[in-house]
Amino acid sequence: MIEQLGNGLLLGVIIALGSVALSLLYGVTRIVNFAHGEIIALGAVMTLFFSSSPDSSLLFFDRYSPIGINFFGSIVISIILCGIFGASLEIFLFRPLRKNNFGNIAVLVVTIGLSIFLRHIYLLFASAKPSSFILELQRREDYFGIQLTPRNVQVLVLGFIVMILVGLFLTYTKTGKAMRAVRDSSDLASVSGINSDNIILVTWIFSSMLAGFTGIIQGVINNVRWNMGFLILLLIFAGTVLGGIGTSFGAMFGGFVIGVLVQLSVGLEFMDGHTEAKNALALGLMILILLIRPQGIFGTKDRIS
Amino acid sequence: MNNPIIEVNGLASGYVKGLNILQGVDLVLKDKEIVSIIGPNGAGKSTLLKAIVGLIPIFGGKIYFNGAELKEIKSYKLAQMGIGYVPQVQNVFPSLTIEENLEMGNWAAKERHKDSFNEIYDMFNILFDKKKERAGNLSGGQRQLLALGRALISKPNVILLDEPSAGLSPKAIDEVFEYINLINQNGVSILLVEQNAKRALKFCDRGYVLDQGRNAYTGSGEDLLNDDKVVELYLGKL
Ligand SMILES: Nc1ncnc2c1ncn2[C@@H]1O[C@H](COP(=O)(O)OP(=O)(O)OP(=O)(O)O)[C@@H](O)[C@H]1O
Ligand SMILES: [Mg+2]
Repeated sequence: MIEQLGNGLLLGVIIALGSVALSLLYGVTRIVNFAHGEIIALGAVMTLFFSSSPDSSLLFFDRYSPIGINFFGSIVISIILCGIFGASLEIFLFRPLRKNNFGNIAVLVVTIGLSIFLRHIYLLFASAKPSSFILELQRREDYFGIQLTPRNVQVLVLGFIVMILVGLFLTYTKTGKAMRAVRDSSDLASVSGINSDNIILVTWIFSSMLAGFTGIIQGVINNVRWNMGFLILLLIFAGTVLGGIGTSFGAMFGGFVIGVLVQLSVGLEFMDGHTEAKNALALGLMILILLIRPQGIFGTKDRIS
Repeated sequence: MNNPIIEVNGLASGYVKGLNILQGVDLVLKDKEIVSIIGPNGAGKSTLLKAIVGLIPIFGGKIYFNGAELKEIKSYKLAQMGIGYVPQVQNVFPSLTIEENLEMGNWAAKERHKDSFNEIYDMFNILFDKKKERAGNLSGGQRQLLALGRALISKPNVILLDEPSAGLSPKAIDEVFEYINLINQNGVSILLVEQNAKRALKFCDRGYVLDQGRNAYTGSGEDLLNDDKVVELYLGKL
């Protein structure tokens, strides 16, 4: 099992980042966003598109040649574009739905449709086979008994730094506090002088950029494919619920635990040859914990609904 | 002095189109006044306050603030224009600290002074002692004081209070009424919805009895208290 710890930490960070982005969006907008996975994939797909050389043998894009700018620049551009994409979703889709008093369930169905739509758009422009960023191959080394490549270590450190920054942003900045206020009650925020629509827009941008970043590190660690976000969406939901809906710290913690457990369970003896079933153990545990603590590990009773 | 601050004419409003909860309500709140709204459960008292602060749509009639009609003005703008509001439920941000709750109230302030926090803390000492605690952990009475503080910190000209004494101990109720009096003496006009009808009528300059989304009785607090019909229909049971 211990040999899976390195991979576990990596998956943990991916799910934690994905969960905090999903949870924040849910908290502020009350949207259960099934298209979250596609925004994650968007970050990775765009980075691949921008960074791969035009004559590269990566055939991810069957119809368009990649652009071939440097990897770091590609990441920055992709994250910004993810933010713009999130903003457009709010302005052109979810805000009009909200103004027309669309019910929560109806909006949820819209996000499912959006998820399927986007995922197949990616498939339309890309071959179904996984591609990798052009990064040199690295060997795994031993870090305190955990097997990781140097790049994996960088990703882990970066992931934790981003989580800390998200925490600091929400705790100390004026906008972060207003996001938490709208999450508690958007009506009360409005009558306090806060333009809730603006805060919701900022949340969409913030959540989408974070999702894009999540996809990029997922792409660095594993590979890039059209349905990569969809494949981890279930774990992200699990992490969010496990930690406690409506708490960002809970989502990070829950996501991290789910990611680590899923990967560790691959190392169990009876899982040999059944790695496809790796989600079972962690999700079973999640259900068990929620039976005992319906509000999640860090959730409070007044925020179950 | 004594210009109408808020004037409501023939207001029809509700939560969904085609279902008017308020069916032609009239109301005037003049400068420096305390006006009470009483009435049975479901009369539409809270709905009236929500319509004034722009949280629900207006289907008919007009609302004026300082003589200007409020039409499709967003709640956050109304707050910035000087209309304070303390809702009946969800009147604090439970996951935010006391201090952060006050900061949120301060979004509506025209100019921000560090002093405004101290003024609130001076009035409500208990909030200062607990300023780093989550509002969700406060007792009912403390929560009500925080809700008042949150609405007052931006120095509104008028404040709408929806049952500020609900669920409090008799001692806490006395305290809340004292604070409301104090706020009013500082020049803030007050529109007060109260379950505690007799007390509210004794306390206010004028009162409105609302029933089934319509004005039932209107008069000075004293007149309403001495009106046999009002006593029989609305005060007897309370
Ligand atoms: N959010 C809502 N959506 C739909 N209908 C509502 C909503 N809130 C209240 N109502 C309805 O509006 C009517 C008036 O309710 P309102 O809350 O204004 O009464 P109230 O006079 O404040 O009563 P109470 O003394 O119980 O607070 C009631 O019939 C109620 O069912
Ligand atoms: Mg009410």
